[in-house]
Amino acid sequence: MINLRLKRQMQTSRGPEWIDLDLSMASGGFVSLFGKSGAGKTTVLRMLAGLIPPQEGRIEVDGDVWFDSGRKINKPIQQRKVGFVFQDNCLFPHMTVRENLAYACLPGHHDGIQEWIGLMGLSGLEGRKPHQLSGGQKQRAALARALVGRPRMLLLDEPFSNLDRQARLELQDEIMRVYRKTRITMVLVSHDLWETFRMSEMIFVIDRGRITKNGSPDEVFVNNDLSGKFQFTGEVLDICKEGVVNILTLGIGHQITKVVAGDEEISDLKVGSMVIVAAKAFNPLLFKI
Amino acid sequence: MNKLTGKIVALETSPHMSMVDVDVDGDVFCSIVLETPASAAYLKQGQPVTLLFKEAEVSIGKNLSGLISLRNRFKGTVKQLEKSPILTKVFLEYKKGQVVSIISTRSAQKLALAPGDEVEWLVKTNEVSLLNEV
Repeated sequence: MINLRLKRQMQTSRGPEWIDLDLSMASGGFVSLFGKSGAGKTTVLRMLAGLIPPQEGRIEVDGDVWFDSGRKINKPIQQRKVGFVFQDNCLFPHMTVRENLAYACLPGHHDGIQEWIGLMGLSGLEGRKPHQLSGGQKQRAALARALVGRPRMLLLDEPFSNLDRQARLELQDEIMRVYRKTRITMVLVSHDLWETFRMSEMIFVIDRGRITKNGSPDEVFVNNDLSGKFQFTGEVLDICKEGVVNILTLGIGHQITKVVAGDEEISDLKVGSMVIVAAKAFNPLLFKI
Repeated sequence: MNKLTGKIVALETSPHMSMVDVDVDGDVFCSIVLETPASAAYLKQGQPVTLLFKEAEVSIGKNLSGLISLRNRFKGTVKQLEKSPILTKVFLEYKKGQVVSIISTRSAQKLALAPGDEVEWLVKTNEVSLLNEV
């Protein structure tokens, strides 16, 4: 088990606020910290990694105490054995992919470098420097570098946010493959609902430094009080009366869609209102694209 | 959106689906949902729920005979009609409340619907959503 009790003041655009949370997660699981930017997710991740200390609290990983403010314990980052992948890959620009991996490698484990280069689809690219790689390749190299150090936990801080859709999906698949292969604890920080839902086994929703909701992706994101399984959040862009019904234009994600609604359904809606769009799971037609 | 309140009286489940029977004032409605009591705790006997279904999913029949696969089939009285070129909105008296159906104006004409008509209204089980009434 991983048990965190953390208190630390953070500076936000709203002024100083406190991170104050207490959470437990199973080690060997895929956990996400989900929330808007400025919620405190990255600060939690940094405290877990040992990059910054909590002002008060305790971090215990499988019975091993990493931090305890009462007992003045604060294990350095090297002893915590965590791997980190950031939003902007932090590869050394003057080193090749292979040299970047070798730098992070534990002494005597250099034989693992070639394996991770192969597993991350970087074969043939190991002699290139970061500026000669695409965004997706750089992040795969950053992931490989985090893994050659044989971490017991991999911390992923918005690792997909600078990638295009295709590269983002590929890296997500790559991470899931690594997770299934190694079963090391994964902690993802994200503000993206879809990637959080897709990858996590357990989600903690963080808002203004506090956990507001936690559970499985279904428990956190699917409105279980309503049986409709086809559910999205959208914004009303237009309302147009047409005969006895109304045609609503909605923005859902990056898509524009239209739905038919009765007068009573739209009585408290106006352009700009946010809505839950739900339908029975039997209705949607699927076409491969 | 039509809303009727009732109570769950029976459940039949398979690994990912449930057929839920809901009593509304003595009529039993069926709804199929992609939930089970394990995934949605409100799926239990005696639980108050609201049945939700869109107006356009409600069909209307007059002098129906023979067999039909639709399980949700109930008696109502036409109260009012609101016509537009393509669609017609039919307001039905049902129990102590109202159910609204939107059908094509062609169908409304074919059925010669008029206020006071005794009709049957039908909705497929897979078009009925459940809302947990906490």
